[in-house]
Amino acid sequence: MKKNLVLLLLSLTLLFSFSFAQEQASGGTDLNPNAISSETERLGSMLQLSDIPNDGGGGIEINWTLNDSLSNYFITIIRREGNIKKIVASDLLASSGQVRDVNSDENKSNVKDGTEYFYTAVLSEYAVSQEILDYLVCDSLDMEAMTIADANQVYLISDESGPVKSKASWFNLERLTVLISAIIITFLFLLYLQLARKGKELYIRKISGLDAVEEAVGRSTEMGKPIMYILGIGYVTDIPTIAGLTILGRVSKKVAEYETKILVPSYDPVVMTTAQEVVKEAFTEAGRPDLYNKNDIMYITQDQFGYAAGVDGMMLREKPGAVFLQGLFFAESLILAETGHSIGAIQIAGTTETAQLPFFVAACDYTLIGEEMMAASVYLQKDPLMLSSIAAEDVMKVIIIIILLIGLILGILGPGMHIEFFDKLFNLLIEIL
Amino acid sequence: MAISTSIWIWISALLTLAIYSFLYKDNPFYKFAEYLLVGISIGYGISVYWHNTIITKVYNPLVHDKDFLVIIPLLLGLLMFSRFFKNYSHLSRIPIAFIVGAGTGLSIPSSFEFLFKQVQGTMPTAFTIGNLIIIIGVITTLIYFFFSMEHKGFIGKVSRVGITFIMIAFGAAFGYTIMARISLFIGRIQFLLSDWLGIIK
Amino acid sequence: MLKGKNIPLAITFTVGLIMIVSFFIPHRPFGDIEQISLKWYSIIAGFTMLLGVDSLLGLHFRKVKRKEENWIHSIVLIAGFVMVVIAGVWGTIQYGSAFDERSFFTYIYNYFIVPLQSTMFSLLAFFVASAAYRAFRARNVDAALLLITAIIVMLGRVPVGELISPYLPKFTDWIMEVPQMAAKRGIGLGIYLGALGVSIRIILGIERSYLS
Repeated sequence: MKKNLVLLLLSLTLLFSFSFAQEQASGGTDLNPNAISSETERLGSMLQLSDIPNDGGGGIEINWTLNDSLSNYFITIIRREGNIKKIVASDLLASSGQVRDVNSDENKSNVKDGTEYFYTAVLSEYAVSQEILDYLVCDSLDMEAMTIADANQVYLISDESGPVKSKASWFNLERLTVLISAIIITFLFLLYLQLARKGKELYIRKISGLDAVEEAVGRSTEMGKPIMYILGIGYVTDIPTIAGLTILGRVSKKVAEYETKILVPSYDPVVMTTAQEVVKEAFTEAGRPDLYNKNDIMYITQDQFGYAAGVDGMMLREKPGAVFLQGLFFAESLILAETGHSIGAIQIAGTTETAQLPFFVAACDYTLIGEEMMAASVYLQKDPLMLSSIAAEDVMKVIIIIILLIGLILGILGPGMHIEFFDKLFNLLIEIL
Repeated sequence: MAISTSIWIWISALLTLAIYSFLYKDNPFYKFAEYLLVGISIGYGISVYWHNTIITKVYNPLVHDKDFLVIIPLLLGLLMFSRFFKNYSHLSRIPIAFIVGAGTGLSIPSSFEFLFKQVQGTMPTAFTIGNLIIIIGVITTLIYFFFSMEHKGFIGKVSRVGITFIMIAFGAAFGYTIMARISLFIGRIQFLLSDWLGIIK
Repeated sequence: MLKGKNIPLAITFTVGLIMIVSFFIPHRPFGDIEQISLKWYSIIAGFTMLLGVDSLLGLHFRKVKRKEENWIHSIVLIAGFVMVVIAGVWGTIQYGSAFDERSFFTYIYNYFIVPLQSTMFSLLAFFVASAAYRAFRARNVDAALLLITAIIVMLGRVPVGELISPYLPKFTDWIMEVPQMAAKRGIGLGIYLGALGVSIRIILGIERSYLS
């Protein structure tokens, strides 16, 4: 221990004289004269350590506060586990006040749950040099030293903080509100299910785009043209795509009844195979399995604009009388909808992408807006099980509206009229959310 | 600057023109570009998939890291091929069921989180006319999406206000995008005039 | 039994429930489930790509064989596919990776795919114009409202707008931040409530169209 101290002092003196000489040589412009004076500052055990709450373990949170004179400094954090030292982070801005010792893509920290760790901070005015980084993790470093220096600057070293242990949580408290609301919606759903079973009539309002399905298919048949159904560029895990597949089932049933043809160009192979099954089952249900042709539901490509080009070309050549655009759409939405319009097809669109809805509204005859599209399967099936979920959704809407109104009133009385009690209530409400 | 002598720039330029010919009408040049894009992009997709999935996510973990958990999705993936055999095609429902279950299971909590974020964002932190209009807009729009009530009388009037908000929002989004779309076109014209023909710098 | 939908429905239910539970439990093994399932998903989805290729190439081979309409273009499609795959293999042999910047594969991407994609994308400039023109003949109050707002916002975002009135850009910002934001939030709330409805129906096996 003593030997280390002597060595360190010796090297410090050497480094100081060296840096002083260098400063003289360069006219003293490179170094801030304050750097030397701040050497006297004692950092103490400035790091506050804690386990990161609500995580799966393997993470320590390190917090610190510094007085303003040090806020432009860089901070380097060293972790000690027994005799093993590791640089957790280097050259952070000291003013950031926090760092987490966790695994990230670039840096594997490998904090083990239940192991005792100690942390030390090193402050420097300029970026830390590689030699110092190597020195900081070597065995001979005296963790009780207050300063070290290299040719460029003095480094301030804090007292070691710790021990701290990380642990994994069994419940993420931050997500409690989600759990409570999930329980509420499930409860509402089951409640309405029970009511429906007891014979309560559940209502669903008119959705005009869906009432137009029959008209579109009928007119297309009269003109001797096929129907085209575009599911967009979503995957089978995307809710709008699933909603689109449900509507496809209903549309194909009508197509089979009218004995016409339906084309489904697809972007994703799983969506394609699923669409094949959906159409096949619908044709079978309508008593016309003979009309089903697997090759009418084909794959195009999993490239956004390649898909748009392919579907556009198909539209121009097959000239469908009705085009359905139901699913997830991005920038290609208007390319498809305008081409569909140019060939004179009746177009019924629907998506949840708010950025694309304006284009559908402008270019299509009917547009299912957001939730209307997801309610479509209920609208088309209207069985009590389905309807009860819509009723539960509506009750949730009422709850949201009530919360918003409470927020409005508290907002007027609190932040608006500065009544402290309501201000507190308002902040509480924001926090709960 | 002079006209480009690079064969690659020529290819790009001619393909660009072939796509634009679509604006006149469907023609063999557009068809060529369309079929080529579909063919090439699927070939590219397969190559990316080979590299990103087969090598990175299946071969390397299995052979180098001995991570045998990968065998499960591997088997599920292989089950998709049961579609090639008529008698076993129903087996492909298993991986689809898995994918859909995982997708919806993940979406439920994240939907709730989104709802909370939206409600929180709507709260009036300062009392202004704008904040009041936002709250009215959000509430009336929500009422437009009421499905279990007929939109008549009071509800009908409120949902009418809601659809007005929706149309203004759509118009705003539309107007906001127009310039961005036109700049895409300008970008292509710049490529043709500068990189290819060398007329402008 | 195996041919029915019971087993797939049970799988969807179980997997869905595990995902929901793991959202609340950070402790291992639940905490890692989301990442693992995303990885598994990409592996399964990767396999299905071959189904797509089979469908697409099968269709075009048939067209060529029967000399159906546009069969020559079908040859272009098949040739494009074959060219890229060969270039990919060749690039891997030559440079160790097809994605090396010197490989023919990368050239195909930069000089075939990129210009084709971006030109398709830029067609939107024309389509946006034609859609706006059609909206001019406003069919009803809603369409007129959409159009007027669109014009105001468009003008407010270009230098000409400032010349017309210095208040126009400010008014545009107000439209984006107040009524636009309000409706967007309202639609968003509806969408996520709808998505919850669909997800719950799927997990409980009420909605099963995806398993037809």
